[in-house]
Amino acid sequence: MKKCRQTLRIDDYLLDKLDEPSKAEFEEHYFNCRVCFRELERRNELISVVKLKGADILQTNEREAETESRPKLKNLFAGLTIKQWSLAAVSAAVIFIAILGVLPDSTSEVPHFYVNSDTVRGDTLNLISPVINIDRVPSVFNWESQGEDVEYVISLYNHELLWTTSTRDDSVRVPESVRDRMRAGERYSWQVKAFSSQGNLLSISSRVHFTLLGKN
Amino acid sequence: MSHPSVVSVMEIRCICLQNAIKIEKRTGEFRIEDIIAKYRPIVTFKVKKSLGVRTPDWEDVVNEIMLNVVEKLKQGEFRGDSSIGTFIYTITSRRIVDFIRQKTKVLSHAPEPRDFDSPEEQLEDRERAEKLALAVASLKPKYKEVLYLYYYRDLSRDEVARRLNITPRRVSERVNYAQKLLKKKLKK
Repeated sequence: MKKCRQTLRIDDYLLDKLDEPSKAEFEEHYFNCRVCFRELERRNELISVVKLKGADILQTNEREAETESRPKLKNLFAGLTIKQWSLAAVSAAVIFIAILGVLPDSTSEVPHFYVNSDTVRGDTLNLISPVINIDRVPSVFNWESQGEDVEYVISLYNHELLWTTSTRDDSVRVPESVRDRMRAGERYSWQVKAFSSQGNLLSISSRVHFTLLGKN
Repeated sequence: MSHPSVVSVMEIRCICLQNAIKIEKRTGEFRIEDIIAKYRPIVTFKVKKSLGVRTPDWEDVVNEIMLNVVEKLKQGEFRGDSSIGTFIYTITSRRIVDFIRQKTKVLSHAPEPRDFDSPEEQLEDRERAEKLALAVASLKPKYKEVLYLYYYRDLSRDEVARRLNITPRRVSERVNYAQKLLKKKLKK
């Protein structure tokens, strides 16, 4: 099967991580390279599906990760005598106590959500619009409703936090003062957090990026 | 005298090998229909990515570009200074820029464009997407984790590597291998 070195750039291109000159260069390349274009289409399809259904995949992932680890533990201890078992248990306890005191928190296999200092394990929140490059300043941001009695905090970023507000609806109008500050050609991102009426963090969206191609 | 639907073009094939790039130049006669059939999907991809699939005019833009390509080829405007792919890319990029400029002027007071997708296309896309989603869900956790963090959370390769306690190179390997596994699953 033919390979092309430029296929390494496909992910960066599709995730809008290339600068403008590299992007144009790669675009011209895939107009000339059948291998890259075929791979580009496939990868684009995969990314689209993951972005749409990532939450479902994660939930399945968590259950499977726990199930997968169980048989390994069973095999590990199957051949030990009682004396060896006792020694292993005592050693494990000593090491465990030592580790708690010495090592920082490490990343577990099961992903958590990190948002500044918030750490939440739970559902993710899907953003609806805008989620791709747009040709004019958005007037409304939409996301998937998390049910009743939920408060949403929406944050809009360019290099830093541009605007934040809260609402009980699953959409919010962008104020004129914020829209006036948005520039064509610039990259933005936004994120929504959902809180219960008691102020507990229920779910977080990923930070979705978009480029403003034009401006009204 | 050539048939009006046949043009002489120089096609440059870029074969990207592991450590070198081999360039083959081939001059020959190609049917315009074949050129259109080959490049239309590529132009469509670029237009959709630039304008967004929710823009209802993307299909019109693609049609305009392809008509423009055909006209220029028939009028002999392609002289072989570049490859046919680069020639078509240049026409595509310019038309996209023009379209965006026109739209930003015209739509300054217009309502938001409604979503456009033919039911057949939606159904076809949805079926294929469902199949692919099931295939992704059936992957081993280590592949799903990396797809989730890298594509869904949009983290950098380094950040994914840090979270999973693996090297950035391993992240790329897992993403690529996941892609190969999915390709196999979808062929079944």
